[in-house]
Amino acid sequence: MHIRNGRDFWAGLMFIGFGLGFMLVAQNYPMGSAVRMGPAYFPTVLGGLLAILGAVIVFRSFVSKLDNPFKVFTFRLPLLIGALVVGGATYFSDSLLKGAPLAEFALAGLALALFIGAFGPRAMFLILLAVVIFGYALKPLGLVLSTVLLIVSSALAGHDFRNKEIVILTVVLVLFGVLVFVKGLGLPFNLWPGE
Amino acid sequence: MGDLIHNLSIGFGVALSLQNLMYCFIGVLLGTLIGVLPGIGPLATIAMLLPVTFSLSPISALIMLAGIYYGAQYGGSTTSILVNLPGEASSVITCIDGYQMARQGRAGPALAIAALGSFFAGSVATVFIALFAPPLAEVALKFGPAEYFSLMILGLVGATVLAHGSLIKAIAMTLLGLLLGLIGTDVNSGVARFSFGLPELSDGIGFVIVAMGVFGFAEIITNLEQGESREVFVNKITGLMPSWKDLKSSSSAILRGTAIGSMLGILPGGGALLSSFAAYTLEKKIGDPSNFGKGEIRGVAAPESANNAGAQTSFIPLLTLGIPSNPVMALMIGAMMIQGIAPGPQVMTERPEMFWGMIASMWIGNLMLVILNLPLIGMWVKLLTVPYRLLYPSILLFICVGVYSLSNQPFDVMLAALFGLLGYVFVKLECEPAPLILGFILGPLMEENLRRAMLLSRGDATVFFTKPISGVLLGVAIALLLITLAPAVRNTREVAFQE
Repeated sequence: MHIRNGRDFWAGLMFIGFGLGFMLVAQNYPMGSAVRMGPAYFPTVLGGLLAILGAVIVFRSFVSKLDNPFKVFTFRLPLLIGALVVGGATYFSDSLLKGAPLAEFALAGLALALFIGAFGPRAMFLILLAVVIFGYALKPLGLVLSTVLLIVSSALAGHDFRNKEIVILTVVLVLFGVLVFVKGLGLPFNLWPGE
Repeated sequence: MGDLIHNLSIGFGVALSLQNLMYCFIGVLLGTLIGVLPGIGPLATIAMLLPVTFSLSPISALIMLAGIYYGAQYGGSTTSILVNLPGEASSVITCIDGYQMARQGRAGPALAIAALGSFFAGSVATVFIALFAPPLAEVALKFGPAEYFSLMILGLVGATVLAHGSLIKAIAMTLLGLLLGLIGTDVNSGVARFSFGLPELSDGIGFVIVAMGVFGFAEIITNLEQGESREVFVNKITGLMPSWKDLKSSSSAILRGTAIGSMLGILPGGGALLSSFAAYTLEKKIGDPSNFGKGEIRGVAAPESANNAGAQTSFIPLLTLGIPSNPVMALMIGAMMIQGIAPGPQVMTERPEMFWGMIASMWIGNLMLVILNLPLIGMWVKLLTVPYRLLYPSILLFICVGVYSLSNQPFDVMLAALFGLLGYVFVKLECEPAPLILGFILGPLMEENLRRAMLLSRGDATVFFTKPISGVLLGVAIALLLITLAPAVRNTREVAFQE
């Protein structure tokens, strides 16, 4: 017996993980009865079904006629271990860091970054990082600087980075953002830091 | 009949106001502009432009969103014909013959026929909606929780059957979507479920966040991973006008495509995708099939008319039952809720000016598409030559601003990034995300109706089968699943999706 369809194998595991995860967390809530369903009832049923389907998909990957490689993702073990350690630390330091939500956020962010870096292409890491940075920079830095950050860091994810082009693109998009989003649509963004 | 004319005149009164005409125009223009960009389908386009409508009145917002939808749909077919890169599944079919026509230097007629066919189909579908929506809404008013629950089951089954690839994976994705939809405060007990103590999660996850992550971000990441390769036919568009022979052979195809699309659009899980597939298959069966795949104009006319008709009639279940039949409609429901309108049969009676105004604006929107697109084709083509390395940072900015402006919270952007990660995993594992989005929207609705139905029946689950309407709906759902599982259909389904 060996895994014939790597994609199905991992997909099945993912569904089992999600199914069991939802079931497990749902056990914190009252179950209720079929007549008066509690908040745990529907998720438990759905989670159970999902896990069963996941198991079927895993089983199928052993007998599949398709030949897909087992290795679907790039995988970097050290980064994954790092992500799990930092993530665990974030979770358990919950009570310790109550007074410092910023530190908690930073830790969680680091765990996430490590996790994303652990598998998947470089482009994904850079794109998602650019997005998260934009989200958290928009308020403190203002629209202009965070747009610059977003464009430049996401452009790094591409195949060829041309300095001149990126500068022009950034200027155009900053102008567009200021004129359309803020002036035109009236979205409540500040343009510069500390406004 | 008198009723119909009366209703439509209310509708046109609303839609023809200067303000609404302008929003309709902006919607169609923006929709085409973004929809033309390769790799961005109507779903991503609507989600991206949603924040633009936040500050409008509900009716203007809906008119504009509908305009964006048609625009994006049409823009997508332009891209299919010229670049062979479908924005989303429903334009895949147009690629087959449309791209071949472009390679033979006949991109102009292909684009013109697509526009004219879409306009004709859109006009017919508008009348179709005006005729059939009111009686359906009356039926819907009699629906109880059991009927709603069964209807949603049917919708989800429809969506999974039509998803690409493995059926069992599509069902699993639906379940996962339902579960993700349950995140947030439970309305009955007030318990914040699966929120991990985060106050940001206690209101649930916005569907725009999920859609943008799974479709928008994941799309960009996979495109970058694969590298770009496209061939644009820029210089070869000479004459726009189709020849007399083109018109003659495509007119019947347009008629058939419109008929198929109008019917299939109403079905749960139906809409543009199913319609264009079915119309193409039918065209191949009728008449000489030898030219298909080599630039047959009927192969452009029929699916393009069908997908436009289907795109419009899929508004019927949304407007009458309040249930989305496909992910795009799920987005529209979300947009209505943001505007404070609960979609359902009561919209028609309580706010007739909104309901009929929207229907009238559909026709106006389609007219604008023709007027706008034929002269502006040169501009859309220029847009296609913009290299992807400049496009994706711009798209990224749009998505980020869109997501952020939902509630002005950085957390939403991070959540969208997480769903982007998940979306990439889905692509890699060949799990089609459309059923997930539909499940996500329906999750809380389904739970609510299940609970009510079970409470009313005192815990007797057979009520779903013994109530006539509910029983029929469930029966159809089960039959649909069984048919799909049957070996013969299974094979043709695989073939159909490979084409």
